[in-house]
Amino acid sequence: MRRVVLLALVLLSACRPKTGEPLEAEVRFVPEHPTVGKAEICIEVDPRLELTRIKVVGDMTHPGMIPVEAEAHPAGPGLWRVDAFDFNMRGDWVLTLTAYDKQGKKYTKEVRLTVP
Amino acid sequence: MRTPDLLRLPLIGRFFRWRYSRFVLQIPLLLVAFLALYDGFVGRQLAPKNFATVSVWLHYRGFLVLAIAVLGNLFCAACPMMLVRGPTRFAKRFLPEFKWPRALRNKYFVIALTLFYLFAYEYWDLWASPWLTAWLILGYFGVAFVVDTLFPEGTFCKYVCPLGNFNFTLSTVSPTQITARDPEVCLRCEGKYCVNGRVETSSGRKTLREAPEAEGLRFPGCETKLYVPQIQSNMDCTLCMNCVRACPYDNVAWKLRAPGTEAAWARYKIDVVWLGVLLFFAGFMNAFAMVPPYYQLAEGLSKLLGTRNEALLLSTIYVLWTGLGFLLTLGVAMLADRVSGVRASPLKAVRFWGTGFFPLAFAMWAGHYAFHFLTGWASIIPVTQQALLNLGLPVGEPDWTLAALVPENWLYPLQVAILYLGLLAASYVLFRRARERNHFLAGGLVFTYFFLLVALALWVLAQPMEMRGTLLLPQ
Repeated sequence: MRRVVLLALVLLSACRPKTGEPLEAEVRFVPEHPTVGKAEICIEVDPRLELTRIKVVGDMTHPGMIPVEAEAHPAGPGLWRVDAFDFNMRGDWVLTLTAYDKQGKKYTKEVRLTVP
Repeated sequence: MRTPDLLRLPLIGRFFRWRYSRFVLQIPLLLVAFLALYDGFVGRQLAPKNFATVSVWLHYRGFLVLAIAVLGNLFCAACPMMLVRGPTRFAKRFLPEFKWPRALRNKYFVIALTLFYLFAYEYWDLWASPWLTAWLILGYFGVAFVVDTLFPEGTFCKYVCPLGNFNFTLSTVSPTQITARDPEVCLRCEGKYCVNGRVETSSGRKTLREAPEAEGLRFPGCETKLYVPQIQSNMDCTLCMNCVRACPYDNVAWKLRAPGTEAAWARYKIDVVWLGVLLFFAGFMNAFAMVPPYYQLAEGLSKLLGTRNEALLLSTIYVLWTGLGFLLTLGVAMLADRVSGVRASPLKAVRFWGTGFFPLAFAMWAGHYAFHFLTGWASIIPVTQQALLNLGLPVGEPDWTLAALVPENWLYPLQVAILYLGLLAASYVLFRRARERNHFLAGGLVFTYFFLLVALALWVLAQPMEMRGTLLLPQ
Protein backbone atom coordinates (compact mmCIF):
# COMPACT_ATOMS: atom_id res chain seq x y z
CA MET A 1 0.00 0.00 0.00
CA ARG A 2 2.79 2.39 0.97
CA ARG A 3 4.53 1.72 -2.34
CA VAL A 4 1.35 2.48 -4.29
CA VAL A 5 0.91 5.79 -2.44
CA LEU A 6 4.57 6.68 -3.00
CA LEU A 7 4.33 5.81 -6.70
CA ALA A 8 1.14 7.87 -7.04
CA LEU A 9 2.84 10.85 -5.39
CA VAL A 10 5.85 10.57 -7.70
CA LEU A 11 3.62 10.33 -10.77
CA LEU A 12 1.44 13.22 -9.68
CA SER A 13 4.39 15.45 -8.87
CA ALA A 14 5.88 14.61 -12.26
CA CYS A 15 2.73 16.02 -13.87
CA ARG A 16 2.94 19.36 -12.07
CA PRO A 17 2.70 22.27 -14.53
CA LYS A 18 5.96 24.10 -15.13
CA THR A 19 6.18 27.53 -13.51
CA GLY A 20 8.84 28.98 -15.83
CA GLU A 21 12.38 30.24 -15.53
CA PRO A 22 13.02 33.23 -13.27
CA LEU A 23 12.94 36.49 -15.21
CA GLU A 24 15.88 38.79 -14.54
CA ALA A 25 14.26 42.20 -14.77
CA GLU A 26 14.37 45.65 -13.21
CA VAL A 27 10.87 46.93 -12.45
CA ARG A 28 10.21 50.63 -11.80
CA PHE A 29 7.04 52.61 -11.33
CA VAL A 30 6.02 56.11 -12.33
CA PRO A 31 5.30 57.64 -9.85
CA GLU A 32 8.03 55.84 -7.91
CA HIS A 33 5.64 54.89 -5.08
CA PRO A 34 2.25 54.25 -6.68
CA THR A 35 -0.92 55.29 -4.89
CA VAL A 36 -4.49 54.22 -5.68
CA GLY A 37 -5.13 54.89 -9.36
CA LYS A 38 -3.17 54.47 -12.57
CA ALA A 39 0.61 54.11 -12.63
CA GLU A 40 3.19 53.38 -15.29
CA ILE A 41 5.27 50.22 -15.00
CA CYS A 42 8.69 50.12 -16.68
CA ILE A 43 10.31 46.71 -17.09
CA GLU A 44 13.94 46.47 -18.07
CA VAL A 45 15.23 43.10 -19.23
CA ASP A 46 18.38 41.84 -20.91
CA PRO A 47 17.81 42.61 -24.65
CA ARG A 48 19.53 39.34 -25.55
CA LEU A 49 16.50 37.47 -24.18
CA GLU A 50 14.49 38.46 -27.30
CA LEU A 51 11.16 38.51 -25.53
CA THR A 52 7.96 38.60 -27.57
CA ARG A 53 5.45 39.24 -24.82
CA ILE A 54 5.25 40.34 -21.19
CA LYS A 55 2.00 40.02 -19.28
CA VAL A 56 1.56 41.74 -15.90
CA VAL A 57 -1.02 40.47 -13.42
CA GLY A 58 -1.64 42.34 -10.18
CA ASP A 59 -3.20 40.52 -7.22
CA MET A 60 -4.04 41.79 -3.77
CA THR A 61 -2.68 39.60 -0.99
CA HIS A 62 -6.20 39.01 0.31
CA PRO A 63 -8.02 36.19 -1.44
CA GLY A 64 -11.07 36.94 -3.52
CA MET A 65 -10.13 40.18 -5.23
CA ILE A 66 -10.32 40.36 -9.02
CA PRO A 67 -6.81 40.49 -10.48
CA VAL A 68 -5.75 43.42 -12.66
CA GLU A 69 -4.22 42.26 -15.93
CA ALA A 70 -2.21 44.24 -18.46
CA GLU A 71 0.03 43.60 -21.45
CA ALA A 72 3.35 45.42 -21.56
CA HIS A 73 4.42 46.88 -24.90
CA PRO A 74 8.00 47.18 -26.15
CA ALA A 75 9.43 50.67 -25.66
CA GLY A 76 13.04 50.20 -26.78
CA PRO A 77 15.77 47.56 -26.65
CA GLY A 78 15.12 45.49 -23.51
CA LEU A 79 12.55 48.00 -22.30
CA TRP A 80 8.88 47.21 -21.85
CA ARG A 81 6.15 49.43 -20.49
CA VAL A 82 2.61 49.25 -19.11
CA ASP A 83 1.19 52.76 -19.54
CA ALA A 84 -1.63 52.79 -17.04
CA PHE A 85 -1.71 49.89 -14.62
CA ASP A 86 -4.77 50.24 -12.41
CA PHE A 87 -3.91 49.91 -8.72
CA ASN A 88 -7.58 49.99 -7.82
CA MET A 89 -7.27 49.42 -4.06
CA ARG A 90 -5.00 50.35 -1.18
CA GLY A 91 -2.99 47.54 0.31
CA ASP A 92 -0.40 44.89 -0.48
CA TRP A 93 -0.03 44.01 -4.15
CA VAL A 94 1.79 41.17 -5.83
CA LEU A 95 2.66 41.76 -9.48
CA THR A 96 3.39 38.65 -11.51
CA LEU A 97 5.32 39.23 -14.70
CA THR A 98 5.09 36.42 -17.22
CA ALA A 99 7.33 36.73 -20.27
CA TYR A 100 7.78 34.55 -23.36
CA ASP A 101 10.72 34.50 -25.75
CA LYS A 102 10.83 33.63 -29.47
CA GLN A 103 11.12 29.93 -28.71
CA GLY A 104 8.02 30.10 -26.50
CA LYS A 105 10.08 29.69 -23.33
CA LYS A 106 8.33 31.07 -20.24
CA TYR A 107 9.93 33.36 -17.64
CA THR A 108 8.30 34.67 -14.45
CA LYS A 109 9.03 37.30 -11.83
CA GLU A 110 7.11 38.39 -8.75
CA VAL A 111 7.20 41.97 -7.42
CA ARG A 112 5.60 42.91 -4.10
CA LEU A 113 4.65 46.45 -3.17
CA THR A 114 2.35 48.32 -0.82
CA VAL A 115 -0.02 50.91 -2.25
CA PRO A 116 -0.85 53.37 0.52
CA MET B 1 -47.31 27.30 19.09
CA ARG B 2 -46.87 24.33 16.76
CA THR B 3 -43.99 24.90 14.39
CA PRO B 4 -42.81 22.66 11.54
CA ASP B 5 -40.37 19.88 12.38
CA LEU B 6 -37.77 19.45 9.67
CA LEU B 7 -37.23 15.83 10.68
CA ARG B 8 -40.82 15.12 9.64
CA LEU B 9 -39.89 15.96 6.05
CA PRO B 10 -39.46 12.68 4.16
CA LEU B 11 -35.89 12.88 2.88
CA ILE B 12 -34.38 15.08 5.61
CA GLY B 13 -35.76 13.03 8.49
CA ARG B 14 -34.69 9.75 6.95
CA PHE B 15 -31.24 11.08 6.15
CA PHE B 16 -30.50 12.39 9.64
CA ARG B 17 -31.76 9.22 11.31
CA TRP B 18 -29.30 7.22 9.22
CA ARG B 19 -26.24 6.49 11.36
CA TYR B 20 -23.77 7.51 8.65
CA SER B 21 -25.45 10.84 7.83
CA ARG B 22 -22.83 12.89 9.68
CA PHE B 23 -20.03 11.00 7.99
CA VAL B 24 -21.58 11.81 4.60
CA LEU B 25 -21.71 15.50 5.56
CA GLN B 26 -18.10 15.41 6.77
CA ILE B 27 -16.64 13.84 3.62
CA PRO B 28 -16.85 16.95 1.37
CA LEU B 29 -15.23 19.16 4.02
CA LEU B 30 -12.57 16.53 4.66
CA LEU B 31 -11.70 16.51 0.95
CA VAL B 32 -11.62 20.31 1.00
CA ALA B 33 -9.28 20.16 4.02
CA PHE B 34 -6.97 17.67 2.23
CA LEU B 35 -6.83 19.81 -0.92
CA ALA B 36 -6.25 22.94 1.21
CA LEU B 37 -3.40 21.20 3.03
CA TYR B 38 -1.85 20.07 -0.24
CA ASP B 39 -2.12 23.42 -2.00
CA GLY B 40 -1.23 25.36 1.15
CA PHE B 41 2.02 23.48 1.58
CA VAL B 42 2.92 22.80 -2.05
CA GLY B 43 1.07 25.36 -4.20
CA ARG B 44 1.99 28.91 -5.10
CA GLN B 45 2.27 31.09 -1.99
CA LEU B 46 -0.08 33.76 -3.26
CA ALA B 47 -3.32 33.91 -1.27
CA PRO B 48 -5.79 34.77 -4.08
CA LYS B 49 -4.37 31.94 -6.19
CA ASN B 50 -4.16 29.24 -3.57
CA PHE B 51 -6.94 26.86 -2.62
CA ALA B 52 -6.05 26.94 1.10
CA THR B 53 -6.53 30.68 1.55
CA VAL B 54 -9.48 31.06 -0.83
CA SER B 55 -11.42 28.09 0.56
CA VAL B 56 -10.78 28.93 4.21
CA TRP B 57 -10.91 32.74 4.31
CA LEU B 58 -13.56 33.30 1.67
CA HIS B 59 -15.80 30.32 1.15
CA TYR B 60 -15.74 28.53 4.48
CA ARG B 61 -16.53 31.76 6.32
CA GLY B 62 -19.08 32.91 3.74
CA PHE B 63 -20.99 29.63 3.61
CA LEU B 64 -20.78 29.36 7.39
CA VAL B 65 -22.74 32.58 8.06
CA LEU B 66 -25.11 31.76 5.21
CA ALA B 67 -25.83 28.29 6.64
CA ILE B 68 -26.35 29.76 10.12
CA ALA B 69 -28.76 32.38 8.76
CA VAL B 70 -30.72 29.98 6.59
CA LEU B 71 -30.75 26.77 8.64
CA GLY B 72 -28.34 26.38 11.55
CA ASN B 73 -24.93 25.25 12.71
CA LEU B 74 -24.37 22.92 9.74
CA PHE B 75 -20.62 23.50 9.72
CA CYS B 76 -20.19 21.92 13.17
CA ALA B 77 -22.40 19.06 11.96
CA ALA B 78 -20.11 18.59 8.96
CA CYS B 79 -16.87 19.30 10.84
CA PRO B 80 -14.19 16.99 9.43
CA MET B 81 -12.09 17.42 12.58
CA MET B 82 -14.52 15.16 14.39
CA LEU B 83 -13.30 12.35 12.16
CA VAL B 84 -10.36 12.15 14.56
CA ARG B 85 -12.80 10.31 16.85
CA GLY B 86 -11.75 6.97 15.36
CA PRO B 87 -8.04 7.53 16.13
CA THR B 88 -8.87 9.04 19.55
CA ARG B 89 -10.85 5.94 20.54
CA PHE B 90 -7.88 3.84 19.53
CA ALA B 91 -5.42 6.06 21.43
CA LYS B 92 -7.66 6.05 24.51
CA ARG B 93 -6.88 2.32 24.91
CA PHE B 94 -3.30 3.18 25.75
CA LEU B 95 -3.62 6.55 27.44
CA PRO B 96 -5.35 7.67 30.62
CA GLU B 97 -8.44 9.84 30.33
CA PHE B 98 -8.58 12.97 32.48
CA LYS B 99 -11.51 15.09 33.57
CA TRP B 100 -11.60 18.54 32.02
CA PRO B 101 -10.71 20.91 34.91
CA ARG B 102 -13.79 22.35 36.61
CA ALA B 103 -12.32 25.85 36.45
CA LEU B 104 -12.27 25.61 32.65
CA ARG B 105 -15.83 24.31 32.23
CA ASN B 106 -17.04 27.64 30.88
CA LYS B 107 -16.37 29.93 27.94
CA TYR B 108 -13.53 31.99 29.45
CA PHE B 109 -10.84 29.70 28.03
CA VAL B 110 -12.51 29.96 24.62
CA ILE B 111 -12.68 33.76 25.00
CA ALA B 112 -8.90 33.81 25.65
CA LEU B 113 -8.23 31.48 22.70
CA THR B 114 -10.47 33.58 20.44
CA LEU B 115 -8.55 36.71 21.39
CA PHE B 116 -5.26 34.97 20.69
CA TYR B 117 -6.57 33.65 17.37
CA LEU B 118 -7.69 37.14 16.30
CA PHE B 119 -4.31 38.55 17.28
CA ALA B 120 -2.56 35.77 15.33
CA TYR B 121 -4.82 36.40 12.32
CA GLU B 122 -3.68 40.00 12.12
CA TYR B 123 -0.10 39.63 13.33
CA TRP B 124 0.89 36.74 11.07
CA ASP B 125 -1.51 37.76 8.26
CA LEU B 126 -3.04 34.29 8.16
CA TRP B 127 -5.37 35.43 5.38
CA ALA B 128 -2.38 36.20 3.16
CA SER B 129 -0.43 33.01 3.78
CA PRO B 130 -1.42 29.67 2.25
CA TRP B 131 1.39 28.00 4.20
CA LEU B 132 0.22 29.29 7.60
CA THR B 133 -3.40 28.54 6.69
CA ALA B 134 -2.42 24.94 5.97
CA TRP B 135 -0.60 24.77 9.31
CA LEU B 136 -3.69 26.18 11.01
CA ILE B 137 -5.82 23.38 9.52
CA LEU B 138 -3.28 20.75 10.49
CA GLY B 139 -2.89 22.24 13.97
CA TYR B 140 -6.66 22.19 14.43
CA PHE B 141 -6.82 18.48 13.60
CA GLY B 142 -3.89 17.87 15.96
CA VAL B 143 -5.39 19.76 18.90
CA ALA B 144 -8.79 18.10 18.35
CA PHE B 145 -7.04 14.72 18.44
CA VAL B 146 -5.02 15.46 21.59
CA VAL B 147 -7.87 17.06 23.56
CA ASP B 148 -10.45 14.43 22.70
CA THR B 149 -7.95 11.64 23.43
CA LEU B 150 -6.96 12.90 26.87
CA PHE B 151 -10.40 14.20 27.86
CA PRO B 152 -13.98 12.97 27.31
CA GLU B 153 -15.33 13.24 23.77
CA GLY B 154 -16.92 16.60 23.09
CA THR B 155 -14.48 18.49 25.34
CA PHE B 156 -12.76 20.03 22.34
CA CYS B 157 -16.03 21.27 20.80
CA LYS B 158 -17.50 22.66 24.00
CA TYR B 159 -14.54 24.12 25.85
CA VAL B 160 -11.64 24.56 23.41
CA CYS B 161 -12.61 25.10 19.78
CA PRO B 162 -12.81 28.86 19.04
CA LEU B 163 -14.40 28.18 15.67
CA GLY B 164 -17.05 25.85 17.11
CA ASN B 165 -17.88 28.35 19.83
CA PHE B 166 -18.07 31.09 17.21
CA ASN B 167 -20.61 28.89 15.38
CA PHE B 168 -22.51 28.15 18.61
CA THR B 169 -22.78 31.83 19.46
CA LEU B 170 -23.85 32.97 16.02
CA SER B 171 -26.29 30.07 15.62
CA THR B 172 -28.35 31.53 18.46
CA VAL B 173 -29.95 33.59 15.67
CA SER B 174 -30.66 30.53 13.48
CA PRO B 175 -34.22 29.70 12.45
CA THR B 176 -34.05 26.09 13.74
CA GLN B 177 -33.47 24.34 17.06
CA ILE B 178 -33.37 20.83 18.45
CA THR B 179 -36.18 20.21 20.92
CA ALA B 180 -38.39 17.45 22.33
CA ARG B 181 -41.55 16.61 20.40
CA ASP B 182 -43.39 15.70 23.57
CA PRO B 183 -41.69 16.56 26.89
CA GLU B 184 -43.95 14.03 28.65
CA VAL B 185 -42.19 11.23 26.77
CA CYS B 186 -38.85 12.52 28.09
CA LEU B 187 -40.20 12.53 31.65
CA ARG B 188 -41.04 8.84 31.31
CA CYS B 189 -37.75 8.01 29.55
CA GLU B 190 -35.78 5.62 31.74
CA GLY B 191 -32.33 6.10 30.21
CA LYS B 192 -32.15 9.71 28.95
CA TYR B 193 -30.61 8.16 25.87
CA CYS B 194 -30.30 11.48 24.00
CA VAL B 195 -27.54 12.48 26.40
CA ASN B 196 -26.33 9.10 27.69
CA GLY B 197 -26.32 7.22 24.40
CA ARG B 198 -28.04 3.92 23.65
CA VAL B 199 -26.85 0.40 22.98
CA GLU B 200 -29.20 -2.36 21.88
CA THR B 201 -27.73 -5.58 23.27
CA SER B 202 -28.98 -9.14 23.08
CA SER B 203 -30.03 -8.76 26.70
CA GLY B 204 -31.95 -5.56 26.11
CA ARG B 205 -31.52 -1.79 25.84
CA LYS B 206 -28.89 -0.03 27.92
CA THR B 207 -27.29 3.38 28.04
CA LEU B 208 -23.75 3.72 26.77
CA ARG B 209 -22.89 5.41 30.04
CA GLU B 210 -23.77 2.33 32.11
CA ALA B 211 -22.46 -0.19 29.58
CA PRO B 212 -19.74 1.50 27.54
CA GLU B 213 -18.20 -1.78 26.40
CA ALA B 214 -21.47 -3.61 25.65
CA GLU B 215 -21.77 -5.41 22.30
CA GLY B 216 -24.67 -4.42 20.08
CA LEU B 217 -26.05 -1.63 17.94
CA ARG B 218 -24.62 1.56 19.41
CA PHE B 219 -26.02 5.09 19.21
CA PRO B 220 -23.83 7.70 20.94
CA GLY B 221 -25.60 10.48 22.84
CA CYS B 222 -25.00 14.22 22.77
CA GLU B 223 -21.31 15.08 22.51
CA THR B 224 -21.68 18.27 24.50
CA LYS B 225 -24.03 16.77 27.10
CA LEU B 226 -27.21 18.59 26.21
CA TYR B 227 -30.43 16.99 27.45
CA VAL B 228 -33.02 17.49 24.70
CA PRO B 229 -36.11 18.54 26.72
CA GLN B 230 -34.02 21.16 28.51
CA ILE B 231 -32.52 22.70 25.36
CA GLN B 232 -33.49 26.39 25.17
CA SER B 233 -30.70 27.51 22.94
CA ASN B 234 -28.47 26.46 20.06
CA MET B 235 -25.45 27.20 22.26
CA ASP B 236 -23.23 24.08 22.41
CA CYS B 237 -25.37 22.22 19.85
CA THR B 238 -23.24 20.85 17.02
CA LEU B 239 -26.30 19.56 15.13
CA CYS B 240 -24.59 16.17 15.08
CA MET B 241 -28.09 14.62 15.42
CA ASN B 242 -26.78 11.97 17.82
CA CYS B 243 -29.83 12.73 19.98
CA VAL B 244 -32.15 11.98 17.06
CA ARG B 245 -30.59 8.57 16.53
CA ALA B 246 -30.14 7.76 20.22
CA CYS B 247 -33.77 8.44 21.17
CA PRO B 248 -35.63 5.12 20.92
CA TYR B 249 -39.00 6.93 21.00
CA ASP B 250 -38.43 9.13 17.95
CA ASN B 251 -39.13 12.09 20.21
CA VAL B 252 -36.49 14.55 19.01
CA ALA B 253 -37.58 17.37 16.70
CA TRP B 254 -35.57 19.86 14.66
CA LYS B 255 -38.05 22.69 14.71
CA LEU B 256 -38.32 25.95 12.86
CA ARG B 257 -38.50 29.01 15.07
CA ALA B 258 -38.42 32.80 14.72
CA PRO B 259 -34.83 33.71 13.75
CA GLY B 260 -32.87 36.12 15.90
CA THR B 261 -35.20 35.91 18.88
CA GLU B 262 -33.62 33.18 21.02
CA ALA B 263 -31.72 35.74 23.10
CA ALA B 264 -35.03 37.26 24.20
CA TRP B 265 -35.96 34.28 26.36
CA ALA B 266 -32.88 32.11 26.79
CA ARG B 267 -31.09 32.43 30.14
CA TYR B 268 -27.39 32.26 29.29
CA LYS B 269 -24.64 32.00 31.84
CA ILE B 270 -22.47 35.11 32.18
CA ASP B 271 -19.47 33.56 30.39
CA VAL B 272 -21.69 32.85 27.37
CA VAL B 273 -22.93 36.45 27.34
CA TRP B 274 -19.34 37.73 27.49
CA LEU B 275 -18.52 35.51 24.52
CA GLY B 276 -21.37 37.17 22.59
CA VAL B 277 -20.12 40.62 23.59
CA LEU B 278 -16.56 39.70 22.60
CA LEU B 279 -17.64 38.40 19.21
CA PHE B 280 -19.36 41.68 18.40
CA PHE B 281 -16.35 43.80 19.33
CA ALA B 282 -13.91 41.34 17.74
CA GLY B 283 -16.01 41.30 14.56
CA PHE B 284 -15.92 45.07 14.53
CA MET B 285 -12.13 45.07 14.96
CA ASN B 286 -11.70 42.41 12.26
CA ALA B 287 -13.46 44.72 9.79
CA PHE B 288 -11.81 47.88 11.15
CA ALA B 289 -8.36 46.33 10.60
CA MET B 290 -8.97 46.53 6.84
CA VAL B 291 -9.64 50.25 6.46
CA PRO B 292 -7.31 53.30 6.41
CA PRO B 293 -8.40 54.84 9.78
CA TYR B 294 -7.08 51.71 11.51
CA TYR B 295 -3.63 52.26 10.05
CA GLN B 296 -3.79 55.95 10.97
CA LEU B 297 -4.69 54.93 14.52
CA ALA B 298 -1.73 52.51 14.57
CA GLU B 299 0.65 55.26 13.35
CA GLY B 300 -0.68 57.62 16.04
CA LEU B 301 -0.36 54.99 18.76
CA SER B 302 3.15 54.18 17.55
CA LYS B 303 4.18 57.85 17.98
CA LEU B 304 2.42 58.08 21.35
CA LEU B 305 4.10 54.95 22.76
CA GLY B 306 7.39 55.56 20.98
CA THR B 307 7.55 52.07 19.54
CA ARG B 308 7.22 50.40 16.15
CA ASN B 309 6.82 46.94 17.67
CA GLU B 310 3.85 45.55 15.75
CA ALA B 311 2.97 42.87 18.30
CA LEU B 312 2.84 45.45 21.07
CA LEU B 313 0.78 47.92 19.04
CA LEU B 314 -1.64 45.24 17.85
CA SER B 315 -2.08 43.84 21.37
CA THR B 316 -2.65 47.34 22.73
CA ILE B 317 -5.31 48.11 20.11
CA TYR B 318 -7.10 44.78 20.69
CA VAL B 319 -6.93 44.93 24.48
CA LEU B 320 -8.05 48.57 24.57
CA TRP B 321 -10.91 48.01 22.15
CA THR B 322 -12.30 44.79 23.65
CA GLY B 323 -11.63 46.11 27.18
CA LEU B 324 -13.51 49.29 26.33
CA GLY B 325 -16.32 47.19 24.86
CA PHE B 326 -16.60 45.07 28.01
CA LEU B 327 -16.50 48.11 30.31
CA LEU B 328 -19.02 50.10 28.25
CA THR B 329 -21.37 47.11 28.16
CA LEU B 330 -21.00 46.66 31.90
CA GLY B 331 -21.68 50.38 32.49
CA VAL B 332 -24.71 50.56 30.19
CA ALA B 333 -26.22 47.35 31.61
CA MET B 334 -25.76 48.63 35.18
CA LEU B 335 -27.30 51.97 34.25
CA ALA B 336 -30.27 50.21 32.62
CA ASP B 337 -30.71 48.14 35.79
CA ARG B 338 -30.63 51.23 38.00
CA VAL B 339 -33.11 53.06 35.75
CA SER B 340 -35.48 50.08 35.97
CA GLY B 341 -35.11 50.08 39.74
CA VAL B 342 -33.18 46.82 40.00
CA ARG B 343 -30.16 46.66 42.30
CA ALA B 344 -28.60 43.48 40.99
CA SER B 345 -24.87 42.83 40.70
CA PRO B 346 -23.07 44.25 37.63
CA LEU B 347 -22.61 40.77 36.16
CA LYS B 348 -26.30 39.99 36.55
CA ALA B 349 -27.05 43.23 34.72
CA VAL B 350 -24.80 42.15 31.82
CA ARG B 351 -26.42 38.71 31.86
CA PHE B 352 -29.84 40.31 31.53
CA TRP B 353 -29.21 43.05 28.95
CA GLY B 354 -26.09 41.76 27.18
CA THR B 355 -27.94 38.99 25.31
CA GLY B 356 -28.92 41.60 22.74
CA PHE B 357 -25.34 41.34 21.49
CA PHE B 358 -25.97 37.89 19.97
CA PRO B 359 -27.89 39.09 16.89
CA LEU B 360 -25.56 42.09 16.64
CA ALA B 361 -22.49 39.85 16.65
CA PHE B 362 -24.00 37.72 13.91
CA ALA B 363 -24.82 40.81 11.82
CA MET B 364 -21.30 42.24 12.26
CA TRP B 365 -19.57 39.07 11.05
CA ALA B 366 -22.17 38.32 8.37
CA GLY B 367 -21.84 41.84 6.96
CA HIS B 368 -18.07 41.54 6.79
CA TYR B 369 -17.96 37.99 5.45
CA ALA B 370 -20.69 38.74 2.90
CA PHE B 371 -18.43 41.43 1.41
CA HIS B 372 -15.51 39.05 0.87
CA PHE B 373 -17.64 36.11 -0.19
CA LEU B 374 -19.69 38.05 -2.72
CA THR B 375 -16.61 39.86 -4.03
CA GLY B 376 -14.68 36.72 -4.70
CA TRP B 377 -17.02 33.72 -4.61
CA ALA B 378 -16.22 32.47 -8.13
CA SER B 379 -12.48 32.54 -7.45
CA ILE B 380 -12.94 29.07 -5.91
CA ILE B 381 -13.23 27.71 -9.47
CA PRO B 382 -9.79 28.74 -10.79
CA VAL B 383 -8.02 27.96 -7.48
CA THR B 384 -9.56 24.47 -7.42
CA GLN B 385 -8.52 23.98 -11.04
CA GLN B 386 -5.01 25.15 -10.21
CA ALA B 387 -4.72 22.85 -7.19
CA LEU B 388 -5.96 19.90 -9.24
CA LEU B 389 -3.60 20.84 -12.08
CA ASN B 390 -0.76 20.78 -9.56
CA LEU B 391 -1.90 17.27 -8.71
CA GLY B 392 -1.59 16.41 -12.38
CA LEU B 393 -5.31 16.17 -13.14
CA PRO B 394 -6.51 17.45 -16.55
CA VAL B 395 -9.05 20.11 -15.54
CA GLY B 396 -8.36 22.87 -18.04
CA GLU B 397 -6.72 26.29 -17.73
CA PRO B 398 -7.98 28.41 -14.81
CA ASP B 399 -9.77 31.65 -15.63
CA TRP B 400 -8.45 34.01 -12.96
CA THR B 401 -10.88 36.79 -13.85
CA LEU B 402 -13.75 34.82 -12.30
CA ALA B 403 -14.59 36.53 -9.03
CA ALA B 404 -17.61 38.64 -8.14
CA LEU B 405 -21.14 37.34 -7.60
CA VAL B 406 -22.92 40.69 -7.42
CA PRO B 407 -22.06 44.19 -8.74
CA GLU B 408 -19.73 46.03 -6.39
CA ASN B 409 -22.21 48.83 -5.73
CA TRP B 410 -24.66 46.34 -4.19
CA LEU B 411 -22.26 45.32 -1.46
CA TYR B 412 -22.54 48.25 0.94
CA PRO B 413 -26.37 48.43 0.79
CA LEU B 414 -26.40 44.70 1.50
CA GLN B 415 -24.09 45.15 4.50
CA VAL B 416 -26.31 47.97 5.76
CA ALA B 417 -29.37 45.73 5.42
CA ILE B 418 -27.66 42.91 7.35
CA LEU B 419 -26.65 45.25 10.18
CA TYR B 420 -30.13 46.81 10.32
CA LEU B 421 -31.65 43.33 10.57
CA GLY B 422 -29.22 42.55 13.39
CA LEU B 423 -30.22 45.77 15.15
CA LEU B 424 -33.90 44.94 14.61
CA ALA B 425 -33.45 41.52 16.22
CA ALA B 426 -31.44 43.08 19.07
CA SER B 427 -34.23 45.64 19.59
CA TYR B 428 -36.74 42.81 19.88
CA VAL B 429 -34.53 41.15 22.51
CA LEU B 430 -34.30 44.45 24.42
CA PHE B 431 -38.05 45.07 24.08
CA ARG B 432 -38.79 41.66 25.62
CA ARG B 433 -36.28 42.24 28.39
CA ALA B 434 -37.68 45.73 29.08
CA ARG B 435 -41.23 44.35 29.13
CA GLU B 436 -40.13 41.75 31.66
CA ARG B 437 -39.03 44.64 33.89
CA ASN B 438 -42.01 46.74 32.82
CA HIS B 439 -39.58 49.59 32.19
CA PHE B 440 -39.10 50.59 28.57
CA LEU B 441 -36.77 53.52 29.28
CA ALA B 442 -34.14 51.01 30.48
CA GLY B 443 -34.48 49.07 27.22
CA GLY B 444 -34.26 52.35 25.31
CA LEU B 445 -30.97 53.16 27.00
CA VAL B 446 -29.39 49.89 25.90
CA PHE B 447 -30.91 50.32 22.45
CA THR B 448 -29.24 53.74 22.12
CA TYR B 449 -25.91 52.09 22.95
CA PHE B 450 -26.51 49.40 20.31
CA PHE B 451 -27.63 52.00 17.78
CA LEU B 452 -24.39 53.97 18.24
CA LEU B 453 -22.32 50.79 17.88
CA VAL B 454 -24.14 49.87 14.67
CA ALA B 455 -23.66 53.41 13.34
CA LEU B 456 -19.93 53.09 14.06
CA ALA B 457 -19.86 49.69 12.33
CA LEU B 458 -21.59 51.16 9.27
CA TRP B 459 -19.00 53.93 9.17
CA VAL B 460 -16.23 51.29 9.19
CA LEU B 461 -17.87 49.28 6.42
CA ALA B 462 -18.30 52.46 4.35
CA GLN B 463 -14.53 53.10 4.34
CA PRO B 464 -12.40 52.14 1.34
CA MET B 465 -10.66 48.82 1.80
CA GLU B 466 -6.95 48.64 2.53
CA MET B 467 -5.69 45.07 2.48
CA ARG B 468 -2.32 45.44 4.11
CA GLY B 469 -0.24 42.94 5.98
CA THR B 470 1.91 45.46 7.82
CA LEU B 471 0.49 47.66 10.54
CA LEU B 472 2.95 50.50 9.90
CA LEU B 473 4.32 51.67 6.58
CA PRO B 474 8.14 51.39 6.24
CA GLN B 475 9.91 54.60 7.31
